[in-house]
Amino acid sequence: MTVEFPALALILLFPALGVLFNLFLGPRYGRGAVNVVGPGVVFVAFGVATWAFLTLLAMPPGGALAVHLWGWIEAGRFHTELGLRLDALSGVMVMIVTGVGALIHLYSVGYMAHDEDFARFFTYMNLFAFSMLILILADNLLMMFVGWEGVGLCSYLLIAFWYTNPQFAYNGRKAFVVNRIGDAGFLLGIFTIVATLGAHDVWTLDFVELRQHAALLGGAAATAAGFLLFIGATGKSAQIPLYVWLPDAMVGPTPVSALIHAATMVTAGVYMIARLGFIYTMAPAALGLVATIGGLTALFAATIALVQPDIKKVLAYSTISQLGYMFLGVGSGAYASGIFHLMTHAFFKGLLFLCAGSVIHALGGEQDMNKMGGLRRKLPITFWTMFIATLAIAAVPPFSGYFSKDLILEAAYDSGHSWLWFLGVITAGLTSFYMFRLIFMTFFGESRVDSEKEHHLHESPAVMAIPLIVLAILATVGGWVNLPGGLLWGNAFVRFLTPAVGAFKPIVEASPTSLSLAASIASALGIALAYLFYLRLPGVPMLLAWRLKDLYNLLLNKYYIDQLYNFIVTRPLFWVSDNVLNRAIDSFVIDGAADGAGLAVRTSGQIARRAETGNVQHYAFVYLLGALGIVAYYLFLVTH
Amino acid sequence: MPPFLYIFLGALAIVSALGVIVQRNPIHSLLALIATLMTVAVLFIGEDAVVVGFLQIIVYAGAIMVLFLFVIWLLNLQVETGPTGHLALKLFGSLTAALLATELFFILAPPHLQVKFTHEPVGYGSLASLAGKLFTDYLVAFEVTSVLLLAAVVGSVALARRLPGTDDPRAARKTAS
Amino acid sequence: MSPFNLAAINFVWLPILPLVVVTVAAMAVLLAGVRVDDSESEGLGLLTLASLAVAFVFTLGILGQYGVAFAGAISVDSFSAFFELVILIAAMFTVMMSLDYAAENRIPGAEYYSLLLFSVLGMMLMAAAGDLIVIFLGLETMSITVYVLAGIMRRNAKSNEAAIKYFLLGAFSTGFLLYGIALVYGATGTIKLGPIHDALASGAMGSNPLLLAGIGMMVIGFGFKVAAVPFHMWAPDVYEGAPTPVTAFMAVGVKLAAFAAFIRVFMVDFASVGAHWQTVLWVIAALTMTGGNLIAVVQTNIKRMLAYSAIAHAGYLLLGMAAGVRSGPAILYYLLGYTFTNLGAFSVVIALERRGEAGNQISDFRGLAARQPLLAGAMAIFLLSLTGVPPMAGFVGKFYIFSEALHQGYVGLVIIAVLNSVVSAYYYFYVLVAMYMQEGGVEVERLSARPALVAAVGLAALATILIGVYPQPYIASAANAFHSASGAEGSHSAALEP
Repeated sequence: MTVEFPALALILLFPALGVLFNLFLGPRYGRGAVNVVGPGVVFVAFGVATWAFLTLLAMPPGGALAVHLWGWIEAGRFHTELGLRLDALSGVMVMIVTGVGALIHLYSVGYMAHDEDFARFFTYMNLFAFSMLILILADNLLMMFVGWEGVGLCSYLLIAFWYTNPQFAYNGRKAFVVNRIGDAGFLLGIFTIVATLGAHDVWTLDFVELRQHAALLGGAAATAAGFLLFIGATGKSAQIPLYVWLPDAMVGPTPVSALIHAATMVTAGVYMIARLGFIYTMAPAALGLVATIGGLTALFAATIALVQPDIKKVLAYSTISQLGYMFLGVGSGAYASGIFHLMTHAFFKGLLFLCAGSVIHALGGEQDMNKMGGLRRKLPITFWTMFIATLAIAAVPPFSGYFSKDLILEAAYDSGHSWLWFLGVITAGLTSFYMFRLIFMTFFGESRVDSEKEHHLHESPAVMAIPLIVLAILATVGGWVNLPGGLLWGNAFVRFLTPAVGAFKPIVEASPTSLSLAASIASALGIALAYLFYLRLPGVPMLLAWRLKDLYNLLLNKYYIDQLYNFIVTRPLFWVSDNVLNRAIDSFVIDGAADGAGLAVRTSGQIARRAETGNVQHYAFVYLLGALGIVAYYLFLVTH
Repeated sequence: MPPFLYIFLGALAIVSALGVIVQRNPIHSLLALIATLMTVAVLFIGEDAVVVGFLQIIVYAGAIMVLFLFVIWLLNLQVETGPTGHLALKLFGSLTAALLATELFFILAPPHLQVKFTHEPVGYGSLASLAGKLFTDYLVAFEVTSVLLLAAVVGSVALARRLPGTDDPRAARKTAS
Repeated sequence: MSPFNLAAINFVWLPILPLVVVTVAAMAVLLAGVRVDDSESEGLGLLTLASLAVAFVFTLGILGQYGVAFAGAISVDSFSAFFELVILIAAMFTVMMSLDYAAENRIPGAEYYSLLLFSVLGMMLMAAAGDLIVIFLGLETMSITVYVLAGIMRRNAKSNEAAIKYFLLGAFSTGFLLYGIALVYGATGTIKLGPIHDALASGAMGSNPLLLAGIGMMVIGFGFKVAAVPFHMWAPDVYEGAPTPVTAFMAVGVKLAAFAAFIRVFMVDFASVGAHWQTVLWVIAALTMTGGNLIAVVQTNIKRMLAYSAIAHAGYLLLGMAAGVRSGPAILYYLLGYTFTNLGAFSVVIALERRGEAGNQISDFRGLAARQPLLAGAMAIFLLSLTGVPPMAGFVGKFYIFSEALHQGYVGLVIIAVLNSVVSAYYYFYVLVAMYMQEGGVEVERLSARPALVAAVGLAALATILIGVYPQPYIASAANAFHSASGAEGSHSAALEP
């Protein structure tokens, strides 16, 4: 049942108004106005979203709210509308994005209090919220792509927000280009669907209609589309092999990392796969690939996080790893489990980043954990909230992460991916290790803070502390919406989502409880080891790093993947472009001038002669060669 | 027109056209151009397009070429000296052009091409029929050509006009040489 | 018996009224400008703008008409009207960009604006042509004037060089096109498009060697004008050297006109022998996209970069042509979006330009966002549209062309195109990075004193967004235009009654 609900448009409208205000009037009305409008519009959007969500809850299962905006592309039989749709899946997402988004906007007021460019910051942030909401509320694949590109753009703008550092700008560009590779996959996936359904005279990208006609796709096209769309997801959600941009993205302001690179944008790939679950269900091979990449990324990123000294880098690799879990979940066919973890992750990882930001803020920009330590007394609120978040990510019951991670691992096992389940268990152990390492290095032990910074140490203002506390509460209780089956309202969240994403169909017998224990044991081991290494025997990590120097360096340098990409992709492309195409073919200049038109003639009297003798002859020669080729083709046509 | 004559005149036209670009002395180039135009005019006449053929001689070989000659004299153009291009490029360029011509020859040569001969209508090539065509079927083309010529004149003037604030380019050239 | 069968001319005023207006305006501007100093040519520019607007209004009258006039020399249909309107828009934008530029650089105003109008006439003729001779004459009128326009800054050596290069190669290329036209005439016995269409559609032609060689030669000739690889090499040099408004005019106007004729001849009249040319265009499209995008990556001069970008976009358009008749509306829509996007981008380039050379390097865009946020924002819109980021016009255009090509089974070509658009992101984003994430660059002067230029930037930005966000009417008119040329009526030889 779908109900017309025009107020959905308001959820988009308010952030859009925020963009316009901050862009055009922000600098004029000053910080006070921007600080109210910037977060305010997101809070209002959250209010409208809550209204809509409550309306949805009051409806029978499988209901949805929708509003049609206007016809977008109508070309021949193909047509795509611009319309919004709020069902259980997008409802949950909208609540996360507007809710967590509003809190992070509020936090930013404090974080950016000393930055001159506050208006530009909130313009980008509101633009991001707007684009992300388009992505989520879109009722068709093409409009989702609009949001998909929009959030990417905001992400680059915000990564390079402090552009005075050229490295930051480079990182922004890297994020853009890597994401474009993913987007190309996404677009090809859309094309595959359009072309295949078009052959059956079905011309639509609307999710509801796609679902009705999904059977027409057939296994091969569904696999191809699923595979291509997943390439898009690996770009946006930082999975192997396109994850390389996310760690670099940490140079942006920390609220950006919390909002975009932890809680919302990077989860877009998971949302997309859950949204198109009906296609993936028809394509076991593509789904298996999603699970495999997810499981591998989870482990791979977690190993890198073990040794990173930069607090935000640890969290970045942790995010990649946790996103891997989500893909493992959706890749197992248990779409609801992935979304469940997406939600709890938004709470605890958003919180972790905000806490890290609070630490960095207090230390005047210091991000190296070797220069922290003993901060728990100086920053009590930050410490306690971050500790709660760490318990949540380390899957300690009854914190939220426990329930969602458990659900994913169970789904991975039940869908027959027992080895991916095993990877997940190991990752769980690694996760608790590196997270407690972070806590211990930052908040416990001796202070290694520069003495000068020591004096300025201060707990964050209330405007930053309140979001921390709210998120800490959510990180604690957020998992309770889906208690294990049989317990009180067991599986309520999964049951709520099922009409939108389809039910999970186990392949093997339900996993025994002992398996569930394995992950908890791994987590506990990780915590114990971190306690041992970083509190009891602080010499051990150094010793290990020295003894296992090669392994340590391999991890510290992130397996040298960046260098490898640079070597096999970036440099050859530039070499071919510059040397082969530009210099050798297009700028063939006799006297060796590098620039094609660089033979800028000294006196006009020589022009004709120079033009005759230089490039023009060469250009005409290439032209003739082209003509020769074309005419040869026609000669072939005539004689055959 | 007998085929051998047609081929002979065609070859002559091509050779003299080549002469236009090969000669270094502008007067020689001009003479070769006149030869080309004349041969083409003969070809026109041989194909019964009498009026066009004579117009070709009167307008091009007559009026326009004389104008060219005046310009060359007036500007005192000398034999071209200095670099005239890259030898390898010239060589490969000529080779490619020859290959292209060969390809076209094989496409358009028998047995692929079956030509049907048709008889020309009565009065073909006469002034009256030409005028008839020009002012009915090709009226637009005819008028557009006049605009094209006007545009070309404006363009030439724009390029040749003396730059304000500079000396006469010819004077500069004379002092330089 | 009189050979003058005047009744057969079917002399109708309406379809040629815009052409007449432009021609008269060209002469009027020339005469009016006799005594105007080069540094005070704004008035002539405004006169030009006004006459283009009048021509625009008259052209609207052609919409919805259907038939031929002047014994088949002029096609009267929405296809002509569509292209004529877009060409006139491009010309108006060019004039808006030129107003201050021409005066500042002391370009001879009378000649400049008059040649611009003559060039517009040539372009409109190519769009409205009903026979191959008019196409050729239109092309020559356009080309000769553009050669001169490219070299009109005679004190500038690069401008001169651009003109000479363009002229020499253009003349070379004309030979191929003319030869192609002659061969097609030889094969079909007519130069009128309607009868050619009917002759080919009847299937009697088969693989007539005259026809095949003629098609090949015409592909080469048109390929030069749209700057397709390997006939593209003039474009970067000429785009760089020509005065920037002329570059914009070339990148948009010349391309529009060339594609108008190319599409009408190939996708309408040669449609029935698609097997003879679609393969060739397949290869050329792939080469053009790939070559243009890859070489653009290493450019440091914005005009050269936009030149290679224009080459790449010609590749996407050729992809549409190679995929066959079904993509016709998509190509027309793409051209519409491309027009505004490119005009806007060049307007911003002009805003940054100084007398002399400065302002044309991509590094000159550094820090523009901090100094001129709106100008940088507009440029960002154009660059995103060129990259194909939704919801700009460029995205919808690409999506439309690619999906149509895919429906016709051109999977390989579409994959090449999508990969190419990934590469293109790199160099477009390079400019964005310079504007938003770096410091330095050149100061933009006197922006407030150049209202026409600012208006051009603003209008182009609005159009780029509008055509992308609400493309429906434009897609509909593109489809209507294309189908009016290749409509169910099949032949378009029905004479229009006076």
